[in-house]
Amino acid sequence: MSGVNLVGLAVLALFLVLLIFFLILGNRRPAVFRPLGGDEALQSAIERAVEAGERVHLSLGTGSVIGADSAPAFAGLVLLKSLASTTTLSDKPVVATTGDGAMAILAQDTLRSAYTEAGAEERYQATSGRMIGPTPWSYVANLPILLPNEDVSVHVLAGSFGAEGALAADFGERFGCFTLGGTDDAQTQALLYATAEYPLIGEELFAAGAYLGVGPVHKASLRVQDTVRMIVVGGILLGAILSLFGVTL
Amino acid sequence: MRVNLGGHLLWAATAVATGLIVLLGYFVQLDQIPQAGLFATFFKLRLLLMRYAVLLAAIALFLGLFNLVSVHWNKVSDQQAGWPYSGILIVAFFLTLVLGLVFGPDSPVVLLLFNYVQLPVEASLSALLVVSLTLAGFRVISSRRDLISGIFIVTALLVLIGSGPGLISSDGAQYSLIGGLRNWLAQVAAAGGARGVLLGVALGAIVTGMRILMAVDRPYGDR
Repeated sequence: MSGVNLVGLAVLALFLVLLIFFLILGNRRPAVFRPLGGDEALQSAIERAVEAGERVHLSLGTGSVIGADSAPAFAGLVLLKSLASTTTLSDKPVVATTGDGAMAILAQDTLRSAYTEAGAEERYQATSGRMIGPTPWSYVANLPILLPNEDVSVHVLAGSFGAEGALAADFGERFGCFTLGGTDDAQTQALLYATAEYPLIGEELFAAGAYLGVGPVHKASLRVQDTVRMIVVGGILLGAILSLFGVTL
Repeated sequence: MRVNLGGHLLWAATAVATGLIVLLGYFVQLDQIPQAGLFATFFKLRLLLMRYAVLLAAIALFLGLFNLVSVHWNKVSDQQAGWPYSGILIVAFFLTLVLGLVFGPDSPVVLLLFNYVQLPVEASLSALLVVSLTLAGFRVISSRRDLISGIFIVTALLVLIGSGPGLISSDGAQYSLIGGLRNWLAQVAAAGGARGVLLGVALGAIVTGMRILMAVDRPYGDR
């Protein structure tokens, strides 16, 4: 059909078919994923923080809800719900910060939802989901005040960051926090590799839901990612070999 | 009998329908479809929804700022740790807001605040990043003694030596060796690795979006 991108729609359909396939397959053959050091260490750090009465902080980054950089923050919201459920019994509930007003509202809704599911509505505070600075650097400038004053011992970065993400991770290290960082930008990932104790590389941020056992769809979607990646890698290799022999498509 | 209509189902249905309309619009070239009929109306609806999204984002920014002030107001009221900083933030916030409303956002008074307060503070933080990264490099060497960290540090040093002016003579054999190695690392090894990383990120972003479109992830709340 003229004016319709059929290839794009076919790729989308492929994702959907694979997701349903792995969702059904997941009941018969459960997925086994490679161990992620950061994920295991995060769970231990959260347990220590709950026992010590310290706070977990999740940074959803400086990207906006309506921008192209919203995907890592949405993955961060999945992580936030899991963190809020895990720390329900803690004296100090989890705090989520962001540089975008709309994302702060989504963080509040996610926290309210997590506490309601856990039967602890009274734990919810609207100020637990905050916008702490509307620009990337003003956001980061607030972290050295927030981390020590709120008794934060677990500092998780899961959202869209530019170069300021390195400084956000470094502040966590300076205040002795367990620091785990993941984002979508390749250059910022390299900076996080140096500044965060546990950096998440590539798509590891988007795999957090599957590793934290959020639900079967998260596990199925991770298997879809792996399968499509193998198809793309196979295509690239095939193209390179064909090009080597002078065959052009 | 009290019937629960399930407000959360309505939110989920609204989010899914809106997401699907906007997503499908990306697969259609608007200038190549008939300008009348159901098909065109459908995609005009998409543009309308996107305009509403921008409007809602602006309202959300206002709510975010209200949230920011209320957090710091509580800190000042309760004299919590670091409350003087919160006080300064509130004063600066209202001062900037009033000046912006009275003189306009492009007035010299507001530009003065940006050029002589915000800009230098943000530039200082950028400068601080260089120091932080240098210290982080040393921290990686001392605390993470594995192969990957070794490769990371050696690569960073080679790129620095190959890029930095005056570190090695620009007319010797060393320069052509290190410079060539730096170019190979940046254009072949790093570019290839970055493409692999971006491929993984793109796939992750697609499945994250799909989960929201299927209402599996509901960041707008379940209840």
